[in-house]
Amino acid sequence: MSDLLQQTPSWGTALWFALAAVALLLVVLGFVTYAIYFERKVIGWMQLRIGPNRVGPLGLLQTVADVAKLLLKEDTRPQHADKALFTLAPILAYAPAFGVLAVMPFTDSIRFADLGIGLLYYIALSGITVLGVITAGWASNNKYSLIGGLRSAAQMISYEVPLVMSVVGVVLMTGSMNLRDIVLAQQDVWNIVPQFLGFAVFIVAAQAELNRTPFDLPEAESELVAGYHVEYSGFRFAMFMLAEYVYMFGMGALVTILFLGGWLPIHPSLSFIPGIVWFVLKFSLYVFFQFWVRATFPRLRVDQLMSFAWKVLLPLALLNILLTAVVISFQNGMFS
Amino acid sequence: MNRDILLTNATTSPESGIRTEEMLLNVGPQHPSTHGVLRLVVKIDGETIKEATPVMGYLHRGTEKLAENLTYTQIIPYTDRMDYVSAMTNNYVLCHAVETMMGVEVPERAQFLRLIAMELNRVASHLVWWGTYLLDIGAMGPFLYAFRDRESILDLFNELCGARMTFNYMRIGGVKWDAPPGWIDKVKEFVQYMKKELNNYHKLVTGNEIFINRLRGIGKFDQKTALDYSLSGVMLRSTGVKWDLRKDEPYCIYDRFEFDVPTATEGDCLARYHLRMAEIEQSLRILEQALDQFPSEGEVMGKVPRVIRPPAGEAYVRIESPRGEIGCYIASTGKDKPWRLKFRRPSFHNLQILPKLLEGENIANMVAVLGSIDIVLGEVDC
Amino acid sequence: MLGLAKGLGYTFKKLTEKKVTHFYPDVPFPMPPRFRGIQHFSPEKCIVCNQCARICPTECIQLTGKPHPDPEKKGKIIDTYDINFEICILCDLCTEVCPTEAIVMTNNYELAVYSRDELYKDLKWLDDNNTNVREEN
Repeated sequence: MSDLLQQTPSWGTALWFALAAVALLLVVLGFVTYAIYFERKVIGWMQLRIGPNRVGPLGLLQTVADVAKLLLKEDTRPQHADKALFTLAPILAYAPAFGVLAVMPFTDSIRFADLGIGLLYYIALSGITVLGVITAGWASNNKYSLIGGLRSAAQMISYEVPLVMSVVGVVLMTGSMNLRDIVLAQQDVWNIVPQFLGFAVFIVAAQAELNRTPFDLPEAESELVAGYHVEYSGFRFAMFMLAEYVYMFGMGALVTILFLGGWLPIHPSLSFIPGIVWFVLKFSLYVFFQFWVRATFPRLRVDQLMSFAWKVLLPLALLNILLTAVVISFQNGMFS
Repeated sequence: MNRDILLTNATTSPESGIRTEEMLLNVGPQHPSTHGVLRLVVKIDGETIKEATPVMGYLHRGTEKLAENLTYTQIIPYTDRMDYVSAMTNNYVLCHAVETMMGVEVPERAQFLRLIAMELNRVASHLVWWGTYLLDIGAMGPFLYAFRDRESILDLFNELCGARMTFNYMRIGGVKWDAPPGWIDKVKEFVQYMKKELNNYHKLVTGNEIFINRLRGIGKFDQKTALDYSLSGVMLRSTGVKWDLRKDEPYCIYDRFEFDVPTATEGDCLARYHLRMAEIEQSLRILEQALDQFPSEGEVMGKVPRVIRPPAGEAYVRIESPRGEIGCYIASTGKDKPWRLKFRRPSFHNLQILPKLLEGENIANMVAVLGSIDIVLGEVDC
Repeated sequence: MLGLAKGLGYTFKKLTEKKVTHFYPDVPFPMPPRFRGIQHFSPEKCIVCNQCARICPTECIQLTGKPHPDPEKKGKIIDTYDINFEICILCDLCTEVCPTEAIVMTNNYELAVYSRDELYKDLKWLDDNNTNVREEN
């Protein structure tokens, strides 16, 4: 893939790019289908139920049926909604969530763009998602969605700060923002060990970025009914749902790459197992953690949410940067 | 309806010249956490509530008026539908009122069965509260666990009287059915199981930091306010008033059993949570004693005339339902139908403090405060 | 943090625990013997005493009688007997007052129909509803 990127652009290469993107999209859609199935199963088991089991063997086609239903539904729009923005919002939410996947190295060979500033690209692009959410909240012309939209604006922007700060430690240690370099720098020990504080802050902030329990305030169903997407139904709603899960896919991949050693095996003696298997394993662990938390925790309160970001997570992330900087300076002999 | 509640203030900021307006938010009657068909008209400034007005009556069926055209036995199924989460206490309060007027002696075994049914129902009711409250707070697991255990209680009731929620179990002068063979042992088993399970509940929720921080200090009121608003039940006890009719005005055979009345002084949502959990524990304690002392045989129906005609006059009795003090007032002219029947419904009285509690809170707290009052809309609207 | 960890531990343990749900529509759900389901009515036992219609709190029972066809015998026999299951609350009072146990409860409880007028059950239907009849009344 990276060779293709180096070539002079032509129709042929453009076709290749398009095909690769579609292939990735299909993989992602497959992931979303079964992530939703897996989520419902896991939460069902934890709640002493069996979860979906009617459509297809073991209920495996349940999500397919749900998506088909959403696609066939009538496309409704509130009368006083802002027509253009209402249509734009789901696209605005979905596009960046998919766009960030371009820089993800799934293994040493399966990757797309090998950007020098891959991490920065990810963070910059994921910041756009919030626009989609606010737009949806505003354009629906519904009070609940407006509150949901504004909540998520406050939440996602606040939590982006500790999220970025928590990965600075990793960048300092590696000396690169290239995601592939970050993985390769974890040959001896995964970043989760030296960067545990950063990892903890990242996991919490990521949860808030993804709008998932215990930070699911923008769509808090017991307060705001469904938050910013109250008025959406049919395919537009499916887009939001898709964006949420694709974003989870992206975040899971990022956690794996930054802290869990990407496609590297636990021990070099286990390297006969292909890298993609390791990647998927670590990635699934993160996704499972998401569902586990969702089955257990209650939701935070709005005012506590903001103070938690600025008064707890941000200082911790800054402390982590400071500690990392001191240790690295010490190793480089700055204090001798 | 009073149209004034639909007016909002618009002001223009002197510095920026930006016109701001309070927003009117209609919460309910179809909203996930109004526990039925309560409607709250909320004026909000950002997320802060300026004023909240509960609008009720969406489930009004006129039980009290209907009762005037029904014989006393026929009213019993109607009481099932008031507080449908704990119908046994409603059954009891009506029967108790009529029995008091007529001076009917209820046999010992029937008294025990009534008490066991009421206490089991109290546990079931608090379990429903626990599950749905956590659902309001945003955790969905506890709901399923609570309903699994409530299911065991409903199964027990189903075996006892053939219905799971609308029991129609008690009759004037006794109860309809004796306990089926083996039922008492099943209840014993359940009590032991529930005691263990309660610890798990604490493990799952009570220690959860997010949960504690969300509830501490919200929906707070003091003792005087509680008394002024004539609150009862946990709402009253959370402010330090030790008032439980099972203890202070013993009815049925509650005076024979040992139990504590848990109280707290904080008066906030967290205190009410802890009190309800402690009440489950005390109910299990009463059940344990009652099951041990359960008479091996005896009648379940006292001597009552075929047509029930309380003497002319009036009576008011009150008992402790899971939600507070439920009372029944009967005015009789000596006929087989009441001349006037009135229920004092604890949910209705407790709900009145809501506008005061919500002032200045934010929307997330609105749900938590409303949930902590523990209302059942069937009872509020009656 | 400890509280959060305890909660996570609890839910994790539940992951493998035995599930408590029933396979309801596939496997019928048995009800205990005393269950109050849809009534069964046996016309031959009925003496047209009208007690059930009178005790019904929602007035959902309507019945008419006719003189006994055998002129030797006194009394009446039942002609029509309708229960309106739109408003019947299955409170058990009709079976309680019936002196001859002509109307009894069954364990059947599936009442869902496509049209509301199908909820008016007549004598024939109630007579045919003779499975899982309750023993003690």
